[in-house]
Amino acid sequence: MFKSHLQGIGQRTLLALMLVSPLSLAAELTDAQTIVSQANVASYYRGDDGRSEARMLIRDAKGREQVRQFTILRRDRENGGDQDFLVAFSRPADVRNTVFMVSKHTRADDDRWLYLPGLDLVKRISAGDKRTSFVGSHYFYEDISGRNLNEDTHQLVDTTAEYYVIDATPKDLASVEFKNYRVWIDKQTLLPMTIEYKDSADQLYRKVEVLKVAQVSGFPTVTQSRVSDLRSGGSTTMQFRFIKYDLGMEAAVFSERSLRQPPREWLRRPKS
Amino acid sequence: MLLQDRLIAFSIDRPRWVFYLLLALCVLAAVQIPSIKVDTDPENMLPHDQADRVYHDQVKERFSLYDMIVVGLVDEAGVYTPDTLTDLHTLSQAIGQMDGVVQQDLMALDRVDNISQQGPGTIRFEWMMKTAPQTQQQADAIQAAVERLPLLNNTLVSADGKATAVYVPIISKSESYRLSQEIQAVVDTLKKPDQFYMAGLPVAEDTFGVEMFLQMAVSAPLAGLMIFILMWVFFRSMLLISAAMIVAMASVIVTMGLLIGQGYTVHIMSSMIPIFLMPIAVVDSVHILSEFADRYKPGEDPRAALKEVVGHLFTPMLFTSITSAVGFASLAFTPIPPVQIFGLHVAFGILFAFIVTVVLVPAYIVSLAPARLAALKDHSLEAADNDSLLGRLLSTTGRFSLARSKGLMLFFGALVMVSVYGVSQIQINDNPVRWFKEDHKLRVADRVLNSHFPGTYDAFLVLEKPASVAEQQQLASQLDTLAKQAAVTEQLTAMRKVAADPLYVNYLNNLVDAFDEASFSAEPAQEKAWLAMLAAVETAQSEAKYFLTPEALNYMEKLQAHLNGSDYVGKSNGLPTLLKTVYRELNGGGDDQYRLPPNATAAAQTILSFQGSHRPDDLWHMVTQDYRATTLWIQLRSGDNQDMSKVIALVDQYIAENPLPEAVQANWAGLTYINVVWQDQMVNGMLSSLTSAFFTVLIMMILLFRSVKIGLLSMLPLTVTILFIYGVIGMVGKDYDMPIAVLSALTLGLSVDFSIHFLERTRAIFRETGNWSATIEEVYQGPSRAISRNAVVVAVGFTPLLVAPLVPYITVGFFLAAIMAVSAVVTVVLLPAVMDRIKNKNALFGVTQETHNV
Repeated sequence: MFKSHLQGIGQRTLLALMLVSPLSLAAELTDAQTIVSQANVASYYRGDDGRSEARMLIRDAKGREQVRQFTILRRDRENGGDQDFLVAFSRPADVRNTVFMVSKHTRADDDRWLYLPGLDLVKRISAGDKRTSFVGSHYFYEDISGRNLNEDTHQLVDTTAEYYVIDATPKDLASVEFKNYRVWIDKQTLLPMTIEYKDSADQLYRKVEVLKVAQVSGFPTVTQSRVSDLRSGGSTTMQFRFIKYDLGMEAAVFSERSLRQPPREWLRRPKS
Repeated sequence: MLLQDRLIAFSIDRPRWVFYLLLALCVLAAVQIPSIKVDTDPENMLPHDQADRVYHDQVKERFSLYDMIVVGLVDEAGVYTPDTLTDLHTLSQAIGQMDGVVQQDLMALDRVDNISQQGPGTIRFEWMMKTAPQTQQQADAIQAAVERLPLLNNTLVSADGKATAVYVPIISKSESYRLSQEIQAVVDTLKKPDQFYMAGLPVAEDTFGVEMFLQMAVSAPLAGLMIFILMWVFFRSMLLISAAMIVAMASVIVTMGLLIGQGYTVHIMSSMIPIFLMPIAVVDSVHILSEFADRYKPGEDPRAALKEVVGHLFTPMLFTSITSAVGFASLAFTPIPPVQIFGLHVAFGILFAFIVTVVLVPAYIVSLAPARLAALKDHSLEAADNDSLLGRLLSTTGRFSLARSKGLMLFFGALVMVSVYGVSQIQINDNPVRWFKEDHKLRVADRVLNSHFPGTYDAFLVLEKPASVAEQQQLASQLDTLAKQAAVTEQLTAMRKVAADPLYVNYLNNLVDAFDEASFSAEPAQEKAWLAMLAAVETAQSEAKYFLTPEALNYMEKLQAHLNGSDYVGKSNGLPTLLKTVYRELNGGGDDQYRLPPNATAAAQTILSFQGSHRPDDLWHMVTQDYRATTLWIQLRSGDNQDMSKVIALVDQYIAENPLPEAVQANWAGLTYINVVWQDQMVNGMLSSLTSAFFTVLIMMILLFRSVKIGLLSMLPLTVTILFIYGVIGMVGKDYDMPIAVLSALTLGLSVDFSIHFLERTRAIFRETGNWSATIEEVYQGPSRAISRNAVVVAVGFTPLLVAPLVPYITVGFFLAAIMAVSAVVTVVLLPAVMDRIKNKNALFGVTQETHNV
């Protein structure tokens, strides 16, 4: 019954409208699972697909910088569920056309591929650990495609005027390098604005922050974020530009063929 | 002479003033002492602005390198068992939480990545040992993984599989001792604590500091006690001894207070100041007191006798003090700051002791009650001593010396020749770990770990291609041209301003962003120009990454192969090792794929793959972000400077035969290398310090005796002594290390004292008697005995050093005692023999007709 009402507008769009409309503020969320699910959607599942250009500035404790520039294409197979990512590098010039692709599964291990044009080599990256560095930055692979919600247990520890504060504890300690983390989720946008990770000695050692949020096609979207490694003093700032949603990408864009032959039409910067 | 009289008058007339003044000085100095700061960092042997040291610091900074403590776990049955690896895991986790440890760079099996194949076409990055293995099978899997990874194999686990190590990078070397204690506390809770060993230069150096402090607290009072006992044996009078001891104590307190009060740290050498000063300081008081006891007749006014005694002794005492001070002060010519500070402060202490002696001792005597003064007489030395063993021995020596003068001269001549040969055999070598005794646990750890691992000593060979101004200018003018063609010169100028950054690499990155932005938003007509400029900068960026090019990598690979083939190098790790390993795993993992990527782009993408690991920043220990400089981490089994020097020679030879690619420079850094640098500086510095001290003292002797001949004669015993001692060092194969080097200059200042007293008295007696054999007869009664006694006091004063737990102290104690003994013997045996061979004694001793008649 209820479902048939929604058919015309599309589930996701309605959900998005709910999230940004003041109406939704009336009801404060109290269930941790609901909050993290919605936050997950807000961060990784806007629209049916999306494209953005990312610029990473990796800075070490001494101020030395490295740059990574890449385009991210995303297509959801199921809202809040399986989705595909394709990351194509454009800078530095010597890694141009390197492609990283993820087929994310919520109920199984992700599939990951890497194409290195200089070696003309397609490699699958083992399902194993996703908390390794993403191309030398302070972001992890998992930060790019999103951590599976089922891997942690969540608890709402505080609700402030602005944030839902959630504590997450991993179900399998051996699979991660943290003991737990705390997330501050914006009550209006449902975007996680700060995440703080603690190690086994309860020392805060890693911090993820959203620095800028902008409305893109009506979706509150992160346009700048930063990960800080509090041990080494290094940090990586990531800036997203030329963001577009609902471009109508086909599934074939994310086929293994795309590794060697990147989908140029989607990678090209839109001129509007 | 005026100064001398005034000093004595002040001392005799205002004894209380003297006491209060000295007390005030001592209190002022003593309050400085609690703020003592110990510094045993051998790096500080070089001035902060010394070129190699500055470079070493820069390298540490650029490559984020830290000093390391190496903790080893040795199990003769093999370390790949669940039990042993569990212990290792527990330890490494605990170390990771310690303050002062650079956690992200900690290296141990549980901290590093395994890169492996998981089925065809699949590469896997995972922690090598995230949790400790539960089964032998899991442990075996770790073994198989480690043995495949050249960066880890034989670094984290020894090639024989019997030892595994935790490399603990630390923020500050001065925390190594505390950390080593904390690590030991964790080790003690493990199943087999006796399997753990700790090594590495930082821990040796810092531990040395702690033990040195204890050593000072024990040795200095012990030396004081020894001197006290010895003087009791000679004088048996508390009165005499207390005066001498007060002088010694005051000199030590004031000198140490001065050093600490100026903010200098107490280094290995300066910690020995009390031990050097005490024996030297008592000698002058002993002279005054014993002579006063001889001359003073009970009932008389002691002032007259005092004036006479001090007046008579003032000049020789002043000269012996100055010569000793000159010997020490000459250390200021070494380029080693701690040695300079040591030398100058001991020199100060000696002169201070001299002044205190001539002011305090008379004041002290004047203040004594007549009854006690009378008691002094009983301790008159002459009477008691003539029949003593020493007295008889000396008279025999005197007769022997004259009777066999020709033979003696031949003997000493031969001795000198042999000594010169010995000196030519001297091995210059040092190693801070050897500053501990053989059985010290750090020495044991050093031996055990270096028998399994390719080495706990580090050196870094840095290859660098400095930024080329020509390349930068070429890019700049290329951009100018492109901008001019598209009429966007103004925009370019503005962009350059915004993009400005002290680091050229960052500047280029900023330019790329700006051009990218401009190409996107510009008029279609200008878009092409911006894209061309973008391409120009990107090309320049890629071309600038020199150490990704096959030319550079091939050179390094061959150099590494050359080094690894040598016995002196345990192992070398570098960018080629990393690239070859990752390249192999990307290409299926077969051994035949263990090679360098074919071109710079392939190398860059191999590196990008590596950066998808848990520890991407490990890369920056090997190469800088701009790929213009790279390090080879060379592990050595021995920290001996000689072995490091051989490695340096090996590299020099390789570079001579295989010239470095154009504009590439090679330089060294690392603690093991720094030790070689300061040793070289010290050896050269000591040579100039010894030479300058020798000539200064010679000139002083010529002035003092107003005779070139006697001046030269007076230098004879110490010359023979120094040659002999260093000849012995060369022949027995004892390494010429820091303490030995410092000794040479000291010897000069100390042993010339004997000649001064001996020659001064000989000449005086000859001028009186005019008869050579009568002169010798008398010289062997008084002066020789005084010399021998002083030699014994000083030599024995240094003996507490022999029981020290730290080797440099033992060395100094042993050789100083030996030097004192040898130079005293040489003085009383050789000088008379040589003088005997000189026919014209009147000319030698400057006897003019008039003086003879008087």
